[in-house]
Amino acid sequence: MAPMLTLRGLTRRFGGLTAVDAIDLDLAKGELVSIIGPNSAGKTTLFNLVTGHDRPDAGAVLFEERDVTALSPETLAARGIARTFQLGRVFANLSVMDNILIGAHTRLRAVRPAVPVIGPLIELGLALLRPASVKAEEERLREEVKIILARFGERLLPRIDQPAYSLSYANRRRVEIARALALKPRLLLLDEPTAGMNPSETAEMQGLVAELKAEGLTILLIEHKLEMVMRLSDRVVVMDEGKKIAEGAGEAVRNDPKVIEAYLGHGLSGAAEQESAA
Amino acid sequence: MSNLDRRTLVKGSLAAMMAGAMSRAAFADSSEPILLGVSGPLTGPNAQYGTQWKQGFDLALDEIMAAGGVNGRKLAYSFEDSQSDPRQSVAIAQKFVSDSRIVLELGDFSSPASMAASPIYQRAGLVQFGFTNSHPDFTKGGDFMWSTSVSQADEQPLLARYAVKRLGLKKLAVLHLNTDWGRTSRDHFVKAAKEYGAEIVVSEGYIAEERDFRSTLVRVRDASPDGLILISYYSDGALIARQARQVGLKQVMCAASSVYSPKFLELGGEAVEDVHVGTRYFPEDPRPEVQKFIAGFKKKYNGQEPDAFNAYSYDAMNMAAAVVRIGGTDRRAIRDAFAKVKDVPSVIFGTATFDVESRRVKGAMNAELVVRKGQFALWDGKPT
Amino acid sequence: MSSWLDYTINGLIVGNVYALVAVGLALIFGVSRLINFAQGSIYLVGAYIGWVAVVQLHTPLPLTIIVVAAAAALVGLVIERFGLRPLQNSVRIAPLLATIGISFVLDQLVMLTFSPNPRALPSQLPDVRFQVGGGTIGPLDLLIAGVGLTSALLLFVFLRYSKLGWAVRAASQDRDAAMQMGVDVNRVNQAVFGIAAALGGVSGMLVGMYYNQIDTAMSLQATLKGVVAEVVGGAGNVPGAVIGSLLLGLVESYGVAVFGTSYRNLFAFLLLVVVLVLRPNGLFASARQAPPEPLTGTFIAPSRPLRIPRWALLAAAAIFALLPLLPVSFYVLQTLINAWLLGMLALSLTLVAGTIGQVSLGHAALLAIGAYTSALLSLSAAVPVGLAIIAGGLMSAALGTILISPSFRLRGHYVSIATLAIGEIVSLVILNWESVTRGPIGISGIPPLSLFGYDLVSPASIYWFSFAVMVALALLQARLLGSHLGRSFRAIRDDDIAARAYGLSLNRYKSLAFIFGGFAAGVSGGIAAHLYSYINHETFNTQQSILALTVVILGGLGNVVGAVVGSVALVGLPELFRIAAEYRILIYGIVLLLLVRFRPQGLLGTI
Repeated sequence: MAPMLTLRGLTRRFGGLTAVDAIDLDLAKGELVSIIGPNSAGKTTLFNLVTGHDRPDAGAVLFEERDVTALSPETLAARGIARTFQLGRVFANLSVMDNILIGAHTRLRAVRPAVPVIGPLIELGLALLRPASVKAEEERLREEVKIILARFGERLLPRIDQPAYSLSYANRRRVEIARALALKPRLLLLDEPTAGMNPSETAEMQGLVAELKAEGLTILLIEHKLEMVMRLSDRVVVMDEGKKIAEGAGEAVRNDPKVIEAYLGHGLSGAAEQESAA
Repeated sequence: MSNLDRRTLVKGSLAAMMAGAMSRAAFADSSEPILLGVSGPLTGPNAQYGTQWKQGFDLALDEIMAAGGVNGRKLAYSFEDSQSDPRQSVAIAQKFVSDSRIVLELGDFSSPASMAASPIYQRAGLVQFGFTNSHPDFTKGGDFMWSTSVSQADEQPLLARYAVKRLGLKKLAVLHLNTDWGRTSRDHFVKAAKEYGAEIVVSEGYIAEERDFRSTLVRVRDASPDGLILISYYSDGALIARQARQVGLKQVMCAASSVYSPKFLELGGEAVEDVHVGTRYFPEDPRPEVQKFIAGFKKKYNGQEPDAFNAYSYDAMNMAAAVVRIGGTDRRAIRDAFAKVKDVPSVIFGTATFDVESRRVKGAMNAELVVRKGQFALWDGKPT
Repeated sequence: MSSWLDYTINGLIVGNVYALVAVGLALIFGVSRLINFAQGSIYLVGAYIGWVAVVQLHTPLPLTIIVVAAAAALVGLVIERFGLRPLQNSVRIAPLLATIGISFVLDQLVMLTFSPNPRALPSQLPDVRFQVGGGTIGPLDLLIAGVGLTSALLLFVFLRYSKLGWAVRAASQDRDAAMQMGVDVNRVNQAVFGIAAALGGVSGMLVGMYYNQIDTAMSLQATLKGVVAEVVGGAGNVPGAVIGSLLLGLVESYGVAVFGTSYRNLFAFLLLVVVLVLRPNGLFASARQAPPEPLTGTFIAPSRPLRIPRWALLAAAAIFALLPLLPVSFYVLQTLINAWLLGMLALSLTLVAGTIGQVSLGHAALLAIGAYTSALLSLSAAVPVGLAIIAGGLMSAALGTILISPSFRLRGHYVSIATLAIGEIVSLVILNWESVTRGPIGISGIPPLSLFGYDLVSPASIYWFSFAVMVALALLQARLLGSHLGRSFRAIRDDDIAARAYGLSLNRYKSLAFIFGGFAAGVSGGIAAHLYSYINHETFNTQQSILALTVVILGGLGNVVGAVVGSVALVGLPELFRIAAEYRILIYGIVLLLLVRFRPQGLLGTI
């Protein structure tokens, strides 16, 4: 099957530190690959490189067999890549509804006609005039948002008009994922979706990710909770100090001595999380 | 006794605000003073000039009261702070025009603030008497705009004559404030100086906030003039003079009358020694109106020497009194009275009579001064 | 050839003077991430305390310096303790506004105490001059250079080697982490404000001696030049601030050399914009840094805006619409006309600063562009006034957006500084482009407002016209906020990185916000031009921009009703305080400070 995402020799240096060091990775359509590794192994930097938030010093990113290296995040979003952020970056003053509608931004058609040069002005005009087509599109998306929120049961639906800052931490993470789903992504990157969640919330999130995978979504996941990683992943990639030190099926990677050493040799937090998850 | 006491003012302005229409007839009582409105800066970047206005007004009012007031009534003014901001001067204008006690308005200071208010005064038929408004278009705002500001078309040829004919300067460097006043003045000066046969080798405009002139003075030096002309106010004029001497420029300096202030001497120190100033009056001027003004000013303000802005406002208040004497308290009659007043004693003009066409006063007095031993003195004709 | 040496020396000398202010600003920015707009006021206070010491008390120079430093440090401590510390946990924009309020208060206090007349501050150093190139330098030049360099060096040593200095650096890098590590951030802030204020006070005194002149107008200029120098050198970077100052001095001096004196500040501000665009972190920051990961919504407070019921808005609009029919004075009407004109500007600014988060400090430039376009079209091309005003709005939208676009890639305070510079550039271009704008002479005889051939000259008709235009613009803006653009703008404001991840192009949406906002501001400027009949380059100045920003923050960022309410309040308050005569701006400053203190999210709250 044709790979969805291909990384070749992807490298990013900050001063003397090489945060991402010649990473190769292939992700097939419908696959779920997890990236694990101790803190500051370069996982989030790798996500930033894939989604265009940072530019690599060397290497290439191919998405659906086209070179997308160093394209802007907005272009990549339009191509169908959605991500969540490690720190849960919701739009604090926007309501839950508006947060998720932003996720659907790239799918607006009626109000954002693809006209060169004066396109933005037409967008402004349509936003103010709101012809029937624009209203209908907005209405359709609002209905869709409610369907996405229904995936989270009664967690978010009753709070649909509340500003995001008023939500609990776990709910903010849910809003982020809902926002990503509203983009109808072809590739979804999840950066520690369960960070800071209690066991029952984690289990709930795990169920959701499994559901998305079952629906055929291609997912790249950063996660510290190994049990979840083992359950969900088709493959696991282990990073340490920017390098890929292991790749393969969950159990094989888990027992790889290099991986154990990497976790033990570094800060306690990674090991602690490993214990708590185990 | 110089002014209305504050409580009266407060009451007055509140009354005006709350019931502008009702107050129209309420104050015809002759025990009430005849009220002039003043719109000018008391705060903000030009606050110093508003403060100087007050001094001149208060001195003139003291004298007017001592002489029995105007037509048997007291004269007073209500000073509204505009910060020289057009947004505030237009509001003040509406306040004055709808306050029936105000018979005449004085000010504002800057051209943007004054001329923005002009349409309101013109339409309402209240004279806007701008005594520092040299902008050539100020009195073109309408027949209710009158000005005793010395027209730069009058003043600058006098300065040019002093510099070129009397001091014998042939190659001039002109430094001017880049405001409407400075720019108009420069143009008139340059025209007159050329007619007298001088050459302008360099002309530099600077903004009012400028403090550092060293690089400008290098440009001046490289043009090798034999004289520097300062079209400046006293604070920037003093700065230029100091820095010119510091960078070693030894040329003759000749400054417009707007630097004529004890502050120029204080701020400039030794650097302004031998600077020539064309002014409208000078301390030893034997004219009685000048002697009365200077003696009175020193007495009232603890020996402080008056400056040009004090003189402008002093003259303006005297002119206002003269106009009210003829025109009474009717606003239109006051407008007509401006065309009727003749030979009002004036520090700046000797005697002031309006030119009805331009609504300005022509024929400012001329005195050629030079700074000697830290004092302004009449120039004795000796080269410096 | 020798002239170039002179220009270079002169540039360094004046750069030296800028450095004194810039170092203090850099220190405060380094720790608090705050541009201290009160720094110029402390400089002013220092100058006047110096005057008292020298002229009244006849203190010798070393003692004068100690007295000024101690007194200014005390002022700095008071500002920190009572002005800024209470705002620690509120929005980041609140302290910025507080420093503006504090500078009002300090400037006014000095003016009331010492009168606005300039004073001579005699130098206490021997009057010897050393020949350098074609000019001379004196002992004060050396002393200023000495103080500048020594303080930069001392600060460097202090920050590097002392325990408190270590805490300062820790706090500047990560405030929360520093607090967790047991750093007493309050003490750090105190130390920083004390030092910066002492430096600011001494520099004001030295510069006063240098020019033998101090006056109350010196404060804003000092802040402006100091901010430019500081940002050029890299905000928060103390040695960078010194080098930035010298560079600024040189650029100004060479600008004078090549183009003439009237272009001087143009070069200063162009330098700033170029540096910000090419090296947003200053000349001395490393080119590529790790992308920042700010927490969401740090600049804008989480806020639950006050919902005003529709009937109340309708009732208020009806009352204001009927006002001219009631027995109110023309003065009240004119004051409200001013409020409506400011309201249009505030609508514009609340959109770009509040809704999309580009806090512009140069917004008066948009007024000026609209005003000049409308005035010139109606005068030179005899375009009917109504059409000319619309053309002014369109020109402001187009030109304003193009001019401000270099700031689109900047964030936070840098946007404010860039727009401040762009605003100054517009004003200086108007001053110098005489063939079109008539330079300092300005444009007079601008025809009065008219609509369909009827002149609007009575206060009531002008009132209705400006009120109607403002209401129309406000309704249009409310409609915009309700569209997908409203949420897109707000998303960009709350978190531009997450917004880009969802396909929102920053350039596109910031441009749209400025196009829409530029139109409203341009219309306001156009109406003002026809109302005043005369405009020049000073009519729309920096104070206007600061006033507009104050309105926006007071009303609540992005809040349409708040912009209008704020305008009425800030036009009305100084008018109400008229009875306090020369104290009114002082009272205004204090009221502003209290509002920031107790309602930092604005009267009606951020939307």
